[in-house]
Parts: sequence; C-alpha cells; structure tokens
Amino acid sequence: MKKRAEFQGEAILRLQDVWKIYKMGAVDVPALRGVSLDIKQGDFVAITGASGSGKSTMMNLMGCLDIPSRGHIYLKSRDISTLSESDLASFRGRTIGFVFQQYNLIPSMSAFENVLLPLEFLEYSDRDAARRAKEILDIVGLGERMHHCPAQLSGGQQQRVSIARSLAGNPEIILADEPSGALDSVTGKKIMELLSKLWKEEGKTIIMITHELNLAKYAHTIVELKDGQIMRIHENREIIK
Amino acid sequence: MKITKSFKHAFNMVRHSKLRSWLTIIGIVIGVAAVIAIVSLGEGMQEAVNSRMSGLGGDIVTITPGASHGGEMFAMRGGGDRGSGASQAAGNTATLTRTDVQVLRGMPDIAMIDTNIRGTVNVSYLGKSGKVSMTGVDQRVWSQITTSKIKAGRMLDPADQNVVVIGGRLASSYFSQPLGINKMFSIEGKAFRVVGVLDDQSTSIDMPIAMASQVIPDKSTDVYDTIVVKVKDQNQLNDTIINIQAKLMTARHVSEKNMDFSITSNKQMQETMAQTIGSMSAFLAAIAAVSLIVGAIGIANTMFTSVLEKTKEIGIMKAIGARNRDILMIFLIKAALIGLIGGILGVILGAVLSGSMASLIGNMPIARGGGIAIVSLNSVLMALFVSSGAGIIAGIVPAYQASKLKPVDALRYE
Repeated sequence: MKKRAEFQGEAILRLQDVWKIYKMGAVDVPALRGVSLDIKQGDFVAITGASGSGKSTMMNLMGCLDIPSRGHIYLKSRDISTLSESDLASFRGRTIGFVFQQYNLIPSMSAFENVLLPLEFLEYSDRDAARRAKEILDIVGLGERMHHCPAQLSGGQQQRVSIARSLAGNPEIILADEPSGALDSVTGKKIMELLSKLWKEEGKTIIMITHELNLAKYAHTIVELKDGQIMRIHENREIIK
Repeated sequence: MKITKSFKHAFNMVRHSKLRSWLTIIGIVIGVAAVIAIVSLGEGMQEAVNSRMSGLGGDIVTITPGASHGGEMFAMRGGGDRGSGASQAAGNTATLTRTDVQVLRGMPDIAMIDTNIRGTVNVSYLGKSGKVSMTGVDQRVWSQITTSKIKAGRMLDPADQNVVVIGGRLASSYFSQPLGINKMFSIEGKAFRVVGVLDDQSTSIDMPIAMASQVIPDKSTDVYDTIVVKVKDQNQLNDTIINIQAKLMTARHVSEKNMDFSITSNKQMQETMAQTIGSMSAFLAAIAAVSLIVGAIGIANTMFTSVLEKTKEIGIMKAIGARNRDILMIFLIKAALIGLIGGILGVILGAVLSGSMASLIGNMPIARGGGIAIVSLNSVLMALFVSSGAGIIAGIVPAYQASKLKPVDALRYE
C-alpha cells in the first residue's frame, strides 16, 4: 500500500491561469476565469460548487477532453495544448480513468467487454487484457456478473463497472464526475467508499467533481468554485485526523 | 488499437443494427448481382462464340458478290465454306464467275478453291415433302475445305454424280422416317442417293456443283454464289486477303469505291463478334454499375446515421483512450464489411441470375449448344473488390467525421 503522505510531493496536474470561454453567437461566455490549481500525486481532491460554477468545464479540461482558451494545463509536466489529438488520446488513456455520473457504459457490450475496451486501445495482449479485466471486476465485486450487459445491472453495479473500466489501464488519476449523482444514498455511499479505498490502498490520485458538500468529506483537498473562479482551497481536517 | 479488434467492433456494430445493415446490404447485393449477371453472361457468350467460330477454320476466306452487308456474318452456318449468298438476294446484279476463279488460281498464297451455288429445293421421301436449302460444292476439294464433320457414311468424292451428303436433322427427323445411308430420295423430282450424314442439326443438302446447277432453279453453269478459298499460311491471312482483293479488283475493273464483291474471313468475323459482344457487355455492365453506385450511396447514408447514433459512444471511447485513427478504422471497416457482405451475396445472386438468364435465352442461335453464363474468378474477385471499395469510399467521409469528433462534444451528445 502506498502512503498518503506521498501526495505532498510533485503536482501531477497543474492548471496555470486557465480560461475557458464559450462563444454563444456573438457573445463570449467565460466558464472558467484564470484558474490556477496544483493537484499533487496521491491526493483526493473534491471540486465543489453550485450549478454553473464551472465544475464540468474544469473536469473536461483536467481530463484533457478539452483544451483551454487561455492558460496552460500540465499533466505529468507535459503541456496538453502542445500534444496532437492522437498523442493526447493515448496519454489520456494511460494516465486518467473516467467515472461518469451516468456511467457511460457501451450498452451493447457486457461488463467484461466494457472493462476490456480501454485495454484494447492500450494494445494489451488478449490474455493480459482478459486477466486484467477479470481481476478488476473482482476488485469491484462484480466477478460473478461480468457477462451481463449494462441493462441487466443495477445503477450501483453499472457505476462499479464504470470504476472498473477507469482502473483497467492502471491510470494514476481517477477523474469522477458526480460518481454517486444518479444513485440512492446507500449505493452512493458504497461507491464513495470504493473510491476512498482506491485512494487509500492503491495510491490513486482521485479528482471528484460534486455539488454535494457531504460527499466532499471523503476528499482530502476541497476546492470550492464559484462563477468560474476558485473561491477557496482547504484541507479536510476530519480526514487528516 | 489492433486491426483485429477494430474488425471485431465493426462487426459488432453491423450485428447490432441488423435491419438497417441488411437494408443497406440489399442495395449492394442488387448492384453486384446485376453486374455479375451481365458480365458472366457476356463472358459466356464470348466463350460460346469463340468455341463455335474456332471450329470454322481460321484459314478460310469467303468471297461473295456484291458490297459487304453487316448481317452476313450472322448468316454463317456450320461450315467455313458456307458463306452468305445474301448479296444476290439483296438485288445486286454482280456475279462471281469462272474468270474470278481463274484469277485466284494464279495466286501462290492460295491452297485450294471451292466454288458454291446455293438455293432452295423441293424434297420428298416416302410421301413426305418440304423445302430445304441446298449447296452445290466442288466435290474435288470440298471434303478438304469444309469444317463440317461426317457422322455416318462419307464425304463427296471427285467422281460422284447423283449423290448427296445431308444434314443431321434431315436424316433423322425431317421426314416421317429416317433417311439413312444409301437411301434414295427425290430433289426437284430427280432421285439422289445419300452417301453421307453430317454431324450437325441442319436440314442442308450438299451435292456436286455440276448436278446442283441442273437441280436448283435459275442457276447457270460457271456463275457462283460464293467462292471459298483456303489460304496456304494462316499467319499471312490479312496479306492474302489484301492480295485477293487487289487481284479481283483488277480483273473485275472496279475500284474500292464501287467494289462489287466482298471478302470475309472466319477469323475477322470471330474478332468482330467478340468485339461486338464485348462492347455490348461493357455497356450493359455500365448500366448495372449505376445500381452499385446507388448501393454505395445507401452505405454512406447508413454510415452517417450510424455516426450520429454512436456519437456518445465515440465520445466514451475517446475518453478512455481511443485515438482518431482507431475510430476511423472501426467505421471504415464497418462500411467495407457492409460492402463485402453485399458483394458476396451479390455474386451468389448474380451467378443464379445469370444461370437463369442463360437458360431463358438458351434458344438464341448464338447461345445454342453451350452453357453460356461463365462466372469467372476474375469477375468474382473484381465484384468483391469493387463492393468493398464502394463501401470504403462511401464510408470515408462519415468515418472521418466520427474520428474528428471532439470527445467533450461527443460525450455531451444525447
């Protein structure tokens, strides 16, 4: 098990004066305004804020799904704006695992095939990919249901498949967008505990986007966003204790 | 992503949108089937013509009176010595005479010359009568110049007088009873003995020319309907034809403008027919190819719909590490698969269709006596290549569009 104290080291993800401006016809709408943030390796960061505060935009930028209008984002010290689309896709696939609010599983594929998919993009051998997918599904407690399609699984199970898929390529960062947003409170709690376990036991860097303040208690660092700007960054004293 | 994995995902996409995929595939099936049917029929007809014409003798040249008529080549029957007499029937007053034969005899590149007259005669045997065509031939050379084969009896001999060689059908079923070897029957009221039966299905009669000129009405001696020439060197055929033409033009005091005879060779006819059938097949195949284009547009349409339908999945794939070229390959392979499946089914349907069409037109003179539809390996490979190619071309733009989707936009798509 990695020690959590390691996250006090180098920033794995750095946002430097990042702006994101959307064009709505002739009008420019800034979603993020000069955001600067360092996320240390091994940290569990919750990015909170009300609706329209820029959380989703920030997630897209931190997940390298989009590039900033101004400013720089460094993922493992590499400026993502300088990477080609293909290089960025590969880099993203190896470094970041995504957990979406609506799970975003491919409906025509079984749980096993969904977990296998990122490994196919990473060009794992068939044997290694199958072994890894089974291993991860066992970790999230779905070893028995790996051949079920998403429609045959409950919301909580689908989210666990989504977490398994995010872990498949063994990325350093798990980026979770409202991971329990579509789940009931009991299932949501289990998902949060799973993420927490991944942070504590696997040493993953977890970045969680949420509007629920009570979920932020699982995180070590809490970033509060308002109107596209960071209002406050503070550590969760409870979790430090 | 490895190509095998791209193939697997493309195949699954085709499998999961069965109805739409099948409807698109049907479009390609129709196009390919039409092309295959027409091409194989064309190839078969070409083959049939070639095999029939190759038996006609490549060293035979036929001279007929009158300017050349396009339809003459189709009037040819089994033998190379059976050039058309249609020129005179068309009202041309020019004739071929002994003088022309004398001119030809003086040419070193000619091996032998057969002179023919032709007409329709009344025949009767055991109470049954009818009208058949008859050819008077020079019996001294006929057996060496003709390409007809004898089935029973013998060919005509130089010493023959009141004897004939008859066609297979005239011998077997034309009269109420078979007309066999050494049987006597009546031609224009005169009795003749059958000495040979040809191995064909004709009702023709061949007899010595001297006797024929007495039997066929309105025929005079030393005026011929055709002169059939066997050249010494088949490789020099074209030169020999030019020489014959030059000599005859001089002897008959005509120029190229008012030339009153025509020269045809089986080889030339074979080439002309092959060319005609080839052009006809190409023209029909081009028309059929239009339906293939329509099928390809169907693939493009399906692919655009598929990209729209799969936008969110493309976003997910990109988020978890798919590169642009991975997405491009999956969609291109899907388009190619639709084209290929359509191509394979089209080839099968085309083969069945061409077989049916072949039997439908099997009674055409040109098609008689052979399986006339040939689905060659070349046309099959070409069809599969073209259908997959059409799929890929039709899929390029949608696949490129899919590969260029921004993950953030694709993920937001509902």
